[in-house]
Amino acid sequence: MKSFLFFLCLVLFCYDLESKKIFNAKSFELSNGLKVVVVENPRAPVIAQMIWYNFGSSVEKRGKSGLAHFMEHLMFKGTKKFPNDFFSKYLSKIGGSENAFTSYDYTAYYQIFPSQHLEKIIELEADRMKNLILNKKNVEIEKKVILEERFQRIESDPSAQLDESMRSILFPNNYYGRPIIGWKHEIEELNYDDVMSFYQEFYSPNNAVLVLSGDITLPKAKELVKKYYGNIESSKKKKDFNLREPIFKTTTSVELKNKNVKQQIWKRIYRAKSYNDSVLDSLALDLGMKILAGGTSSILYEEFVNRQKIFSMIGGFYQGLSKGDGYIYMYAIPNGEIKESEISKNIEVYIAEAIDTKITQEKLSLEKKKYFYDSIYGMDGILKPAEIIGEALTIGLKLNDIENWNKKLKKISLDMVIKELKEFNQNKNFVTGSLKN
Amino acid sequence: MKIFFIILIFFFKNLTALEFDQLKTKSGISFWFVKDSSIPIVSVSFSFRGGSYLENEKKQGLSNLMTSLLDEGTRNLSASEFKEVMKLNGMKLNISSQKDKIEGSFQVITSQVSEGFKLFYEALNHPRFDDSEIEKVRKQIISSIKIDQSNIPTIASNLFNKNFFGDHSFSRNIKGTIESIKKINRNDLIDFRKKAFQKSNLVIGVSGNIDKNEIKKLIDLVFSEMNDSFKISKLEKFLSLSQGDKIFKITTPQTSVLFGHPGFERNNDNFFALRVANYILGGGGFQSRLYNNIREKKGLVYSIYSYLLPYESDGVLIGGFQTRNESVYKTVNTVKNEWDRMRKIGISKEEFQNAKDYFNGSFTRNFTSTLSIARLLQVVQYYKLGEDYFNRREEIINNLELDKVNKVIFETFDSSKLFFMIVGEPE
Repeated sequence: MKSFLFFLCLVLFCYDLESKKIFNAKSFELSNGLKVVVVENPRAPVIAQMIWYNFGSSVEKRGKSGLAHFMEHLMFKGTKKFPNDFFSKYLSKIGGSENAFTSYDYTAYYQIFPSQHLEKIIELEADRMKNLILNKKNVEIEKKVILEERFQRIESDPSAQLDESMRSILFPNNYYGRPIIGWKHEIEELNYDDVMSFYQEFYSPNNAVLVLSGDITLPKAKELVKKYYGNIESSKKKKDFNLREPIFKTTTSVELKNKNVKQQIWKRIYRAKSYNDSVLDSLALDLGMKILAGGTSSILYEEFVNRQKIFSMIGGFYQGLSKGDGYIYMYAIPNGEIKESEISKNIEVYIAEAIDTKITQEKLSLEKKKYFYDSIYGMDGILKPAEIIGEALTIGLKLNDIENWNKKLKKISLDMVIKELKEFNQNKNFVTGSLKN
Repeated sequence: MKIFFIILIFFFKNLTALEFDQLKTKSGISFWFVKDSSIPIVSVSFSFRGGSYLENEKKQGLSNLMTSLLDEGTRNLSASEFKEVMKLNGMKLNISSQKDKIEGSFQVITSQVSEGFKLFYEALNHPRFDDSEIEKVRKQIISSIKIDQSNIPTIASNLFNKNFFGDHSFSRNIKGTIESIKKINRNDLIDFRKKAFQKSNLVIGVSGNIDKNEIKKLIDLVFSEMNDSFKISKLEKFLSLSQGDKIFKITTPQTSVLFGHPGFERNNDNFFALRVANYILGGGGFQSRLYNNIREKKGLVYSIYSYLLPYESDGVLIGGFQTRNESVYKTVNTVKNEWDRMRKIGISKEEFQNAKDYFNGSFTRNFTSTLSIARLLQVVQYYKLGEDYFNRREEIINNLELDKVNKVIFETFDSSKLFFMIVGEPE
């Protein structure tokens, strides 16, 4: 294994960090519609491959909740050419690691592995896009695994049950209100035929973005991706059931009482815009929420934890990387028992006041600086760039949007941030939740 | 805008050997360093032997409370000011208390190096420990203990430690108890910091875009002020690990189970043999025997795993799963059977070869970020694996022989030494 070939490869770049493209990613598209992005980073002889399908629970028919996630589990069951657990076995033999995840708007699979095995790993991922072999027995066994997963993630965690319930109220019309893992009674009814027709309908190159990051070059990627994906036929255009939600005329508070709960928690989720609606507005909202509620130096933390000392923690964040509505999530952990209505009122009153008086240019500059530095940290590694790019592209953003994110960041003014926060303060589309003993 | 000249260097002579420099500062602190100019970041990983086991039992949670307060203000800056300056300099500081050490990481953007390291120095050497911040963080830890008490897997994990490790300090919760935390005062924190942060217990790994001479000065700035006036005791061996089952009843549809078994210290000659055995039993991702037989074939669990916890003086093998109340005993018995199978039959030639290939191939994954490289350098020093470890590792793996590994397995795995902590309503 030891070779005395001595590489000392010096490459010179000119670097202007803020106006430079973040990842310097290269992309191409096959005639069957597969989009491919390559992030060249020869630092270590390792590659991360991620394939992002641009559907998740978004394409499930009513009554079939959990199907996209079920399918994700079954993608590890082997193909005609590489049966059973060949893929996983091969990967662990070469020292690789793998996993997959399903969300509302996307489903993704990834592997991290030594770069000399690139060709085989590309072949294996391409192969399971169309050639999966399933039988009724392994579908039924996997269903038991998924029910155990649901029990582990939701049924034995009161806080997760509260979140599930709050989302179902907040998004009454769209798939964002249904749990990704599926309702228990619907998972129980899913069967082999559901899975097979889902697989055949949606798994195809025109619904996917392949991201290769690490010790790989564009020509090599082109050659291998064409070789293994080139002959896969595209399917007819799929449709997400993306529906807009009604405007709420009422306010809703839900409560979850469980005797295992020893610490009261207050939560609130708001429907919000997404980066698909507008990148600049969403970025302004994100910065605003970071100033208001992000981390342990936010305005809300300063007021309620440091000054009033009525909560041990308060925080919140904006998530707008979605095809349809985004959301804003807030939570507070009171010191001692406080009534839900009192917590809500305290926070609402203070937020209104803080937006008028506490959002300063200085705070915004600081947050922008941090945002910019985080983009540098994002380049230190191989999986992170693939995650950022894959997620953004599957929800509908363009590679250019990501690469020039820091230029967009520069454009955000204090007025834009305040406008977004005022809108947030007027937003009546929210649900409040209370977790208590 | 500043223009940076970036030099990209391939620093790997072969696939697994990492080339690093052993540096020594003016004041005599030695550390390991890999220069990486491909990205404008400097990452430091450090650890102090000691941590939670140095605490007095009545004030358990002291180490965790102390480390939680390090970013809550310094002699010159209030907590809020400190956090703002951290942001301004793109600096990240994470310090956590563990059972056998305090481990931390510090990262900064290269252009902000001097400001960043000054803050790093202030945080470790001159934390403010303001009464109001102590109260704030105390309340946060109490909330977090209460949240843990509402979460069945965490309840199981705490009960497992409490019952498995017997009289050993590892039976305690790192966060302490609500009662013990309330007893801690400012002087305890000041004294404990001095005791915990000593140069003789310190190891450091650094990677990133910075000159050797500059990083030597900065490491001195941060760590040279610490003294060596306390002698800390060695971590005790685990002399009274529990065996058998213990049940804690709590209403839930799914029971959490954790299990433990004796293992080896990190420097044991047979450590890698046990590592191979554990990989095959319950360590290897979607490939292990436990995963295959309990999840893939029977669908009894979503996840089942085992891992080694090697310390300086001793070690254990820990595992866990969650399953529906009606299948708890079935699953517990399958785990016991797998233990017996390890002892009676051992591992096959194919399993052995796959595991060796895995350990040889997976190592380069540590080389993909400045922080993972820095941490690797730190850990190798912490366990005293030797400066030639990166060259030797492959040899250690390739020199393993199947017969010898199976002999170690036979002498180690014993299902009667297993301890199961069962939390839920098993039927």
